[in-house]
Amino acid sequence: MQRAEERAGELAVAAADDGAADDAPAGGRLRLWLALSLGAVVLLDVVLFVVRGWTDQPAVQAWRTVCLAVTVQAMPFLLLGTALSGAINAFVPARVFTRVLPKRPVLAVPVAGLAGVVLPGCECASVPVSSSLIGRGVNPAAAFAFLLSAPAVNPVVLTATAVAFPGSPAMVLARLLASLATAFVMGWLWLWLGREKWLKPAVRHTGHRPGHSRWTEFRTGFQHDFLHAGGFLVLGAMAAATFNVAVPRSVLDAFSGSPWLSVLFLAALAIVLAVCSEADAFVAASLTGFSPTARLAFMVVGPMVDLKLIALQAGTFGRAFAFRFSAATTVVAVLSSVLIGGALL
Amino acid sequence: MKRHVQVVLLVLSGLALLHAALFTDLYLRYVKEGLRPYLIASGALLLLLGVAEAWSSYRPNAGGEHGERHEHRHEDGEHGERHGHGHGHEDGEEGEEGEEGDVGVHDHSAVPRVAWLLFLPALSLLLYAPPALGAYTASRETPKAVTEREHFDPLPAASPVPLTLTDFIGRVQQDHARDIRGRSVLLTGFVTPDKRGDGWYLTRIMISCCAADAQSVKVRVYGAQALPANTWVSVKGTWHPHGTLGTKSAEAALDALAVRKVARPVNAYTDALPLPTTR
Repeated sequence: MQRAEERAGELAVAAADDGAADDAPAGGRLRLWLALSLGAVVLLDVVLFVVRGWTDQPAVQAWRTVCLAVTVQAMPFLLLGTALSGAINAFVPARVFTRVLPKRPVLAVPVAGLAGVVLPGCECASVPVSSSLIGRGVNPAAAFAFLLSAPAVNPVVLTATAVAFPGSPAMVLARLLASLATAFVMGWLWLWLGREKWLKPAVRHTGHRPGHSRWTEFRTGFQHDFLHAGGFLVLGAMAAATFNVAVPRSVLDAFSGSPWLSVLFLAALAIVLAVCSEADAFVAASLTGFSPTARLAFMVVGPMVDLKLIALQAGTFGRAFAFRFSAATTVVAVLSSVLIGGALL
Repeated sequence: MKRHVQVVLLVLSGLALLHAALFTDLYLRYVKEGLRPYLIASGALLLLLGVAEAWSSYRPNAGGEHGERHEHRHEDGEHGERHGHGHGHEDGEEGEEGEEGDVGVHDHSAVPRVAWLLFLPALSLLLYAPPALGAYTASRETPKAVTEREHFDPLPAASPVPLTLTDFIGRVQQDHARDIRGRSVLLTGFVTPDKRGDGWYLTRIMISCCAADAQSVKVRVYGAQALPANTWVSVKGTWHPHGTLGTKSAEAALDALAVRKVARPVNAYTDALPLPTTR
């Protein structure tokens, strides 16, 4: 412990020197970094030693496992999404989108919503992509319809739903229709009530600029978006893990009796559990005590609103937007699941 | 976030993913097996990004670095000053900084401070990876419902018959032919002590994507002392007669004849058949 305190002292001194050393020659900087990393390693050892007793609690371990699981599971999808977003910025000229999408935003919303089918992946990928679409001049309403529908109606998710609910194709159809309806309504709602000022001036990229390397633009945009969204992903994973561990699913079974409460509770469960959209059908299928409509609500709300998505959206579009948009999406998604579920299931 | 920190972060994250998915089986504690190639590709990509960033920022012609930073248009002209020393990491709370950093500075080297959080999963995987979910989670969840089946093939003649927990529960509660009656079966899972402190369950946790969607199946074991929680065991036994066999009233339970410690399976988040070998 004595040694560790000495190290900590050194570390503090080294840290204090940090500012002054900024202009120091390379040799001094190297030594500083060696000292810093040595100090960090020792400090980490001490912290681990002290904290280990606490982290060996099964609840803390389960929390860390779930947190890491959400992050690791989302990582490839996040990379895919941010790479796609970087590529759109660097390689796709803005006129492509204005040519492909209908001029009138009212029509652009359903077209963009249907286009969501082509991005098979989890919801983490669609946030950076739709952000870069807005940056390329796509109407935000259309971009948001795409943001909501892409993770909810793609072929992978629909296939998973069919596998999880064998013998009930109505569930697949209901999921497709309710998700598309939610995406369209949210797009139109944005046209009607949305304010640009809720959106953070998030247009980080301006696309390709003449005289610069497209590849460098791609790489730096990709890297920036990944680090940015990744941080928020970890934040969301922590929140989701907290609920996952703190609220056992058995508690929610208590509400399976009432048809109205059960819809609301499964919608709330989808928000706090933050299960990937490719897996949520299996979770929904396992919630056997609940009505089909409640389970439909779970699958419609989940890919559109959950804790990690709210964190990602807050980071990308700003908090003012994320909370309003998520709240409205939840209401619209629950309503459309109830209506379509009531008609089909 | 300074550029060299970004390099360290990207390289560490890449190494962490490669460590978890390529060099070890760590990833199986968190996600399903099928994700492995994607995790390896992600790790390699992150490593590549880190190396590219390091190469571009430590290149001898500093002018190039500077020029690159200007490739993206900036709404305000102050980012140039901000770059060198404007990134104090001591003041302001995380979220505020994230917003402000993004609104004011459209500089790709100015990644908001929230990105520091990415160090947590990377270091966690590299240095102190948490264990797979186990008895704690299983004891808190309602067991997963076993899917309804119309038809059960006759049990093989072997004795004991190796079964998965799901198959055993299905046969006990749904098989009208009651094939399981009097048969000696072999089940493998881990020990979950009963919350009230008497008795224990043989348990398996299954995931469909990652550990956040974990579900468990349990079979109560009678006639054997509980081993410590999370011990992997293989139990030979017969159905514990309680309730009417072949209906929902039958308890998914086993009268143990023999309990043997076994090694934890590599891919533990499945309900696989116990292997006949000494695993």
